[in-house]
Amino acid sequence: MIRVAKVRLRLPRHVGKSLLAGALVLLCARLGVAQGPDPLLGLDTNSRFAVDLMIDSATAAQLPTGPLLSRVLEGIHRKVDGKRIVDAVRRELGFLRSARSALGGVPDDELIAAAAVLEAGAKPAQLAVFRTRHKDRSDLAAFTYWADLITRGVPSEDASSAITKLWQDGADDATFYSLWKSVNSDILQGLNPGAALQARIRETPGRAPSSKTPPEGPQETQSQ
Amino acid sequence: MNERKVANFVLTLALLVPAPRGLAAQLVSKIEAGQYSVSDGVLPMSAIRFAPAVQYEFPRATLTARGAAFLSEQQLQLADGIVSGTFTSPTVYGVRAEMIGNASRALDDRSLGTDQVDVQTRVHVLFHQHGGLWFGGGVARPWRVAVISSADVTDAGAWAKVGNAAAKFGGATMTATFTNFSFNKIASVHDTGSASLSCASIPSTMSSAGPARALFSEVSTGGACERQSRFSDLEGTLHWEWNALEITAQTGYRFGDSYDVTADSRRWSSATATIWLNDRVAFVGGGGRQPALPLRGLPSRTFGMAGLELAYWPISKGAVPVSLPHAILVKSFEVRPVAAGTQRIVIHVGGVETVDVMGDFSDWSPLTLVRRGRDLWELSIPLSPGMHRINVRVDGGPWMAPPGIPTVHGSYSGDVGLMVVGGDRSGH
Repeated sequence: MIRVAKVRLRLPRHVGKSLLAGALVLLCARLGVAQGPDPLLGLDTNSRFAVDLMIDSATAAQLPTGPLLSRVLEGIHRKVDGKRIVDAVRRELGFLRSARSALGGVPDDELIAAAAVLEAGAKPAQLAVFRTRHKDRSDLAAFTYWADLITRGVPSEDASSAITKLWQDGADDATFYSLWKSVNSDILQGLNPGAALQARIRETPGRAPSSKTPPEGPQETQSQ
Repeated sequence: MNERKVANFVLTLALLVPAPRGLAAQLVSKIEAGQYSVSDGVLPMSAIRFAPAVQYEFPRATLTARGAAFLSEQQLQLADGIVSGTFTSPTVYGVRAEMIGNASRALDDRSLGTDQVDVQTRVHVLFHQHGGLWFGGGVARPWRVAVISSADVTDAGAWAKVGNAAAKFGGATMTATFTNFSFNKIASVHDTGSASLSCASIPSTMSSAGPARALFSEVSTGGACERQSRFSDLEGTLHWEWNALEITAQTGYRFGDSYDVTADSRRWSSATATIWLNDRVAFVGGGGRQPALPLRGLPSRTFGMAGLELAYWPISKGAVPVSLPHAILVKSFEVRPVAAGTQRIVIHVGGVETVDVMGDFSDWSPLTLVRRGRDLWELSIPLSPGMHRINVRVDGGPWMAPPGIPTVHGSYSGDVGLMVVGGDRSGH
């Protein structure tokens, strides 16, 4: 178990050889992986052609192409057939276009998060209130928890109303997180998702309890 | 020294080459402080053991380098080091191929340091993730052990797992291995580290050995002689986990002629107990007997140790890849910033062997987390600000959304988690 040698720190010759071997292995590992194959090689020719067209289309529309490429890679790694991959990329492109129309020139990361909200089931019109920008304020958290609430079964209108109202009241990320965590906990305990949101949004200080309030215009806005 | 200069140059070059996205290097370390004693004449000593390691994870390969040094009597003493690579094929109908390569060094005392390179290939058959068996073979090439040639190594084994760490009586993994070593001994050494036998005395000794003579083919060349040797190890290992207690015990028997196996290496057994005080600190104690390693020129020894272990990283022998779908055991998931552009994924899950994540940040290639504690797994990765999609799996099971973060329905199947990574918004 114990193999100990009293060796001085002055490195002998064989240690130099070992260092050289180790360094070569490290170099080969890095070089070997750095020169990886084309990530889209896993697609069949027809699917590849369709995906390339959509990526070109996204580029022309100044939409981020990362999410499209990510859908392709995800499909390849999950061993999904080419047709489903093309469909997924097409849907994602549609969500990005809709989000861009609703939000205008927002940063790419927020556009991607907004596309996730649309993918979850929100309507593009419900995003419109976020078009007006608040300086140094990100709507990433709001979009993320919004998408999750819809996914967990909260009616789209209720989720939209609650998130929009909180946003207009200037809620920070911690408030969105707190609401989401409470609702999620209630749902896990068997409460109806819509009822859980209604109950929890009432407990949020200074928030309006209305469940069917349509999206309103921003109360405090600052244009970009 | 030219070799050191070249090594430094290549190492610098290696570090300058940009690592590809998705390749994560994990620096891990283990520090033990305790009392160690050995029975081969060395006085019992107090020592602090440092065991740094670096590990690169690929989807189907792992590259690991680790070493150990002792701080004893205000003197730093090198102990051992190993660079190893494991390559695994996809599992098809419960069968997979494995290739394991090691380059290692063991230093027994100031004058005795041995190097060895060994390569092994295996075919591993898995039975419903609760058991399996494997067989394979390879070659081990020792250096600086003048009396041993390259050795042919063949091995076979079986493993089974019952229960799990969260069960009433915990979980146990039992492993049985049979390994055969075949090699040539040169000159007159009987068994490394034990009695020697001169060339001249071999014939008379062998003549009295009777049937054992058939095992040897003697060649006398210039005062040296060579004979074929072989021995086989049968070893059983039991690893039992129950709450904060882990016990590993092993026992073995070495088959072989008395010329190749000394009496003190015929049977051995040892045990180690680990008691977890928290996720990162454990008390470790154990002792027993280990057989001689002729290929390494190392004698058998009796040992006893007790110490405190900080950070935990089990070095798998690659023999028992236990896999169970423990999705329900994932307790928590966190993402913590560690540096600009780098986040650390922290997952608590107990009783599993591997934890992987994948997402848009890895181009949906699996990345394996490093075990940092009893049920603590971590991985540091570069993550740009924004929303990222992520899935997690344990023990190669189904991919799922991590608990405790928002989720959406995936584009293809199941749910995916959404991670929000903050960033500097001043530019917006």
